[in-house]
Amino acid sequence: MLNTNLAQQSLSRRRFLQTVSAGALAAGAFNLPGLMSVNADELRKQGRSMILLWMQGAPSQFETFDPKPGTENGGPTEAIETSVPGIRIAKGWENTAKVMDEIALVRSMTNKEGNHQRATYQLHTGYIPSGSVKHPSLGSNLAKMLADPAHELPSVVSVGQTVGAGYLGVDYEPFVVNDPGSMPQNVTTTVPTPRFERRLGLLDKLEDDFAGRGGAAVVDSHKRLYGKTAKLVLSPAIKSFDISTEPAPLREKYGSTQFGRGCLLARKLVEAGVTFVEVRAGNWDTHDNNFERTTTLAGQVDPGAAALIADLKERGLMEKTLVVWMGEFGRTPRINPRNGRDHYPRVFNGWLAGGGVKGGQVIGSSTPDGAGVKDNPVSVPDLFCSVCKSLGVDPRHESLSPIGRPLKIVDGGEVVPGLFA
Amino acid sequence: MAATSSCSVRFSELSGAKRLSTGAVLLVVPLTAVLVAGALSGRNEADAAPPEQPAPSKRFARPNAPRPFDRDSRRGDSARKSDSSANTGKGAPTQRAVARHVSPSDSAGTAAAIDVVIREELAESKSSVAPVAADEDFLRRVTFDLTGTSPSPRDVTLFGLDSDPAKRAKLVDQLLDSDEFSRNWARYWRDVVFSRATEMRAQFATQTFEDWMHGEFQKKAPWDAIATSMLTAKGGVREEGSTGLIFAHGAEPAEVAAEVSRIFLGIQIQCANCHDHPTDAWKREQFHQLAAFFPRLRLQPKMTTPRTFEVVSLDSTPFGGRGGGNPLGALRENPELAIRRLDQNRDGKLSKSEAEDGPLGRLFDRLLGLGDTNKDGMLSAEELKKIEPPMMAGRGSREYHMPDLNNPSAPGKRIDPEFFVTHEKPGADLSDADRRAAVARYITSPDNPWFARAFVNRIWSEMLGEGFYIPVDDMGPEREPRYGKALDLLADGFVSNRYDVRWVYRTIASTEAYQRQIRPTEATENPTPFVAAVPTRLRSDQLYSAITKVLGIDDLGGGGMRRPGGGMGRGPRTPRDNFAQLFGFDPSTPHDEVVGSVPQALFLMNSPLLTNLMRAGGRTTLSGILTKYSSDRDALNELYLMVLAREPSEKELKICTDYIAEVNNRNEAFEDLLWSLLNSSEFLTKR
Repeated sequence: MLNTNLAQQSLSRRRFLQTVSAGALAAGAFNLPGLMSVNADELRKQGRSMILLWMQGAPSQFETFDPKPGTENGGPTEAIETSVPGIRIAKGWENTAKVMDEIALVRSMTNKEGNHQRATYQLHTGYIPSGSVKHPSLGSNLAKMLADPAHELPSVVSVGQTVGAGYLGVDYEPFVVNDPGSMPQNVTTTVPTPRFERRLGLLDKLEDDFAGRGGAAVVDSHKRLYGKTAKLVLSPAIKSFDISTEPAPLREKYGSTQFGRGCLLARKLVEAGVTFVEVRAGNWDTHDNNFERTTTLAGQVDPGAAALIADLKERGLMEKTLVVWMGEFGRTPRINPRNGRDHYPRVFNGWLAGGGVKGGQVIGSSTPDGAGVKDNPVSVPDLFCSVCKSLGVDPRHESLSPIGRPLKIVDGGEVVPGLFA
Repeated sequence: MAATSSCSVRFSELSGAKRLSTGAVLLVVPLTAVLVAGALSGRNEADAAPPEQPAPSKRFARPNAPRPFDRDSRRGDSARKSDSSANTGKGAPTQRAVARHVSPSDSAGTAAAIDVVIREELAESKSSVAPVAADEDFLRRVTFDLTGTSPSPRDVTLFGLDSDPAKRAKLVDQLLDSDEFSRNWARYWRDVVFSRATEMRAQFATQTFEDWMHGEFQKKAPWDAIATSMLTAKGGVREEGSTGLIFAHGAEPAEVAAEVSRIFLGIQIQCANCHDHPTDAWKREQFHQLAAFFPRLRLQPKMTTPRTFEVVSLDSTPFGGRGGGNPLGALRENPELAIRRLDQNRDGKLSKSEAEDGPLGRLFDRLLGLGDTNKDGMLSAEELKKIEPPMMAGRGSREYHMPDLNNPSAPGKRIDPEFFVTHEKPGADLSDADRRAAVARYITSPDNPWFARAFVNRIWSEMLGEGFYIPVDDMGPEREPRYGKALDLLADGFVSNRYDVRWVYRTIASTEAYQRQIRPTEATENPTPFVAAVPTRLRSDQLYSAITKVLGIDDLGGGGMRRPGGGMGRGPRTPRDNFAQLFGFDPSTPHDEVVGSVPQALFLMNSPLLTNLMRAGGRTTLSGILTKYSSDRDALNELYLMVLAREPSEKELKICTDYIAEVNNRNEAFEDLLWSLLNSSEFLTKR
C-alpha cells in the first residue's frame, strides 16, 4: 500500500500527504517522508504564524483608532494618549494604548465593497465573491505555504465561523472552535485509549478488502484523514485547546469574554505551532446607538487584544507572529438620526503588530471630516501583500482553481511603504 | 404523436428565431431540413464543428503555465483546442444543434447505442473493460443514486434471490417512481444552487427551494419547465421555492447571469466578466449581454416577522417616469426632475420634510451625509449631481451597464440583452417579465445544445463518478468531451423525450457503463474513463439517510452536533441541516476533489450521540442483531448487510472472528466492529 502510494507522489501533492495510516499511527510507526522542496522546508521551519482579530460587522474608525474629537462627524467620542507621543486613539482603548509602540495603525484603508457578506469574503480571501470559484481564505493560503504537514494540530483554527479553504480543500480548512472556553467537540474518545487504538487497528485491517476491490484511492485518502484525526485526538498537543490551565491572573488580563478567551487560545495555539488563528468579535454593525455600543464592544476587545500583544512579547513570539486587527469596512462620517453610523468602505482603519512590523507609527490618514483618504491609501491587496511579506510568503504564488485557472494568493497591490522596520 | 407535438414546439421556437439577426436565420435552414426529413442521420460530419488540429497541451492562455497535478492528465481528452478563434466558439454549438432525433428515443435503445460508442472507443485504447457489478453492488449503487439511501438487508437478500433477468430495469423503474427519488434530487439541486450563494441570507430559503423542487420532480415536470420557473420566478422567497436561484445571488444581474450559465448551460461565461475569456471564445460583452436580461430584478426586504424578501420586477421608477430603477438611480439620471417633483416650497432645494414623504424617505439622511457640501441641511440639484455613484457601477438602473474597467465609478456602457449561444435578441426597453421569459425561452430551446448537455453530463457524472466533461459546470465551448458521441446520444434523446428527467436516469442506469464493477485503478497517468465504476463519496444527505437507517432511528437529534444558530430569521435547524453543516459539499465539485474533513472524522469517531446508538445493550439495532443471531458468523453477516449492504468476504469474516476471540467479550467486540464499519471508507462511499 505504501509503495504504490509513493509511486504516485510525483503526480500529486495531495496524494503525497496521504501516507499516514491509522494503523501506522497506532503502532507508533509514524514517520514523515522528507519529500518537500527545500525552500518550502526552510519556510516551514521558521514557524511563522498569524493571528487575525476580526471585527465582524465593520467597526467605526471614529470610535476605534481614528477619533476626530471636537468635529461634527467625530461625535462625542474622546481621544486618549497612547504610549507613543502624538498617536491618539479613541477613549475605551486604554489597554491597547499601552502597547501602541508595538502597533502600526493604518488609517487609510479603502475599498468599494459595502455589503457585509461580500466584504467579509473579500477581506478574508483578497477576492470579491464569485459563483464560479471559491477562493481560499488568506489563512488557508498561508497554511498551505507555511504549515508543517506532520504537525498534530490543524494548521488553521478559527474561533467562530469563517471563510473556508475554498478549492485548497480539506488540509487547509479552518478547524472551527465555537466556544474557546471549552474543548472542541468530539475530540475526546468515548472509550478508553487502548480500546480506541484497538479499534483503529481493526478499522485499518477491515479497509483492505475494499481497497483491493477498487477502493484503493478512497481508502488511502480516508486513512490519511483518520491518521491526522486520530493523531489530534491522541496528541498531548490537544491540550493547547484548553485555556483553563493558564494562570488565573493571565486569564483575567485577557478578560472573561468570548473574545478574550479566544485571544488567549490563539496565543496557546500559535505557541503550539498552529499557522493561522482567527478570533472573532461580533456586533460591530452599529447602525444605531453607535456610541454606547462601541464603548461596550471596546470593553470586550481592548483587554484581549492588548493582553495578546503583551503576552506574545513576553514569550518572545512577537517577531514571528503577525497580529492583524480589522473588520470588513468602516462607518459613515455622518451620524445618522438613530445616533448610528452606516456602512462606509471608502475609508476605514485597522492595525498590524509583530511579524517584523514597525510599531508605534501611523500609516496614512483620513481627511479632517473623515469622508475620504487624505494620504497613503491602502487597498485590500496592499494589505494582503504586506501580510505575505511579514510571513515570508510570495504573494504572487499561484495555485490552480478547480477549473484550471491559476490564481495568485494576492492579485495586484504592493507592500505598504514604511510598514516594516 | 409525440413527434408531432415536439415539432410544433420547435416551430414556435423557430418563428421566434426568424425575427433575429441573419446569423440566426442561417441556423434555421439546416434545422428545418432535418425536421422535414425526420431523419436520425442529421448527425454527420458536416454538422459537427469544423475540425481543428488538437493541441491538448495548451489549456491556459499563457506559455509554460503550471499544470494541475493529477487532474490535467486525466483531462487530456477534454483539453481545449489551440486555436480559440471566436468563430468556432460561436459556430460550434449552433451547428451542432441540428443533430438530434426527431422521434423520442427509448431508454434501452439509447443505452445500448451509448455502450456501443464507448466500447468502440475503448477497443482503440486497449483498456480492458471491468465486468458487470454483482447484484449487491448494483443494488446499493442505484439505490443511493436514485433514492439517496442504502438498501436494507432485506432488500439485498430479496434482490439477490430474484431470478427475473429484467430485475435491474424493474428496480430502476420502481425507484424512479418513489417519493425518495424526488426528495433525493431536490436536495441535490438545493446544494447545487445554494453552495455558491453570494447572498448568505439565502440560507433560510433552502428548505422552501427543496420542497418546491421535490414537488416539481413528483409531478414529473420536464427540465425546461423547471428551468423556466427558476428563471422567471417572482414572489416571496419563503413561499416561492422557484425564487431560490435568484435569491441566492441577491438578484444581482451579473451574479444571476453567471449562475444561470453555469448551472443550466455548464458554461462559465462569467470569466468574461472583466476581460475576454482567457481560454474560451466568449467576449466580455457577451457575458454582460446575458446579464442584461436581469437588470430589473430586485430583492425587496419585507419587514415582517420573520423577516423575508420578495423577488420583484422594477420596471418603473418611484417617480413614475422611466428615469431609473430606484430613487438613487432616478436622482442620478435627472436630479432636476426629482427636485421639481418634490420641492414643495420651490426654493430649488430638497429639505428633509420635503423628501421624507416621497420615495427618497429613508435614503435622505444618507444622501445628505454624502452630498450636503454647504451643510445647509438641504440638497440642491448641484449637490445631488456631485454625490458619488453607488458602490457598484450600474446598480440601481433599469438598464444594464457594463462597467468601465478603467473608471469603475463611471456608469459604464449600456448593454441590451442578447443570448450568446444563439445570438437571439428580445429587443430593447423590455419589461423584466419579458426579458426573463425571453431568456428562459432561448436557454431551454432545442436550438441551444448546451441546455440538454449540461443536464445529462451532470447526471451522468453524478451516477458514474466522472463526466464526459469534468467539471460538470465548465464544459465549453473550446473543450472536447470524452466520448462526445455518447454524450450527444444522451443529450439528443433527452431533447426528443421533451426533457423528461426520469428518461435520463433510466437510460444511464441501463447502460453497461453504469453497471460495471469498481476495480483497482490502472497504474497509468491517464486512466481511461468509463472502463470501470468509480467509487465516489456519498453526499451529506445520502450519508445521513444511511446512518439513520443503520442505527434504526428517524433523526440524529441531540448533542454532538452543536452549531451556533445563524443570522436573521433562520428557521430552526433540523438534525439533517446540522449534519450537512459538517458533511455537506458543493455537488458541482469534481468527485475526486471531495474528501473528508477532520471534524467529520471526529464526529464519526467520537460523537457521544453515535456511541450511544452503537451500543450492544439497550434498544439498538446492534443489540437486536446480537439477540437474534447467537452465531457470530450469522451476526457478522447481518451486520455487514446492514452497514455495507453486502455479505462479508471470507477474509473479513476471519479478521472479525479473530478480533472477537481476541477481545473475548462479545458485546464489546461487536461494538468495535460496528464502529469500524461505520468509520470505514466503504461506508462513506458509493461503490
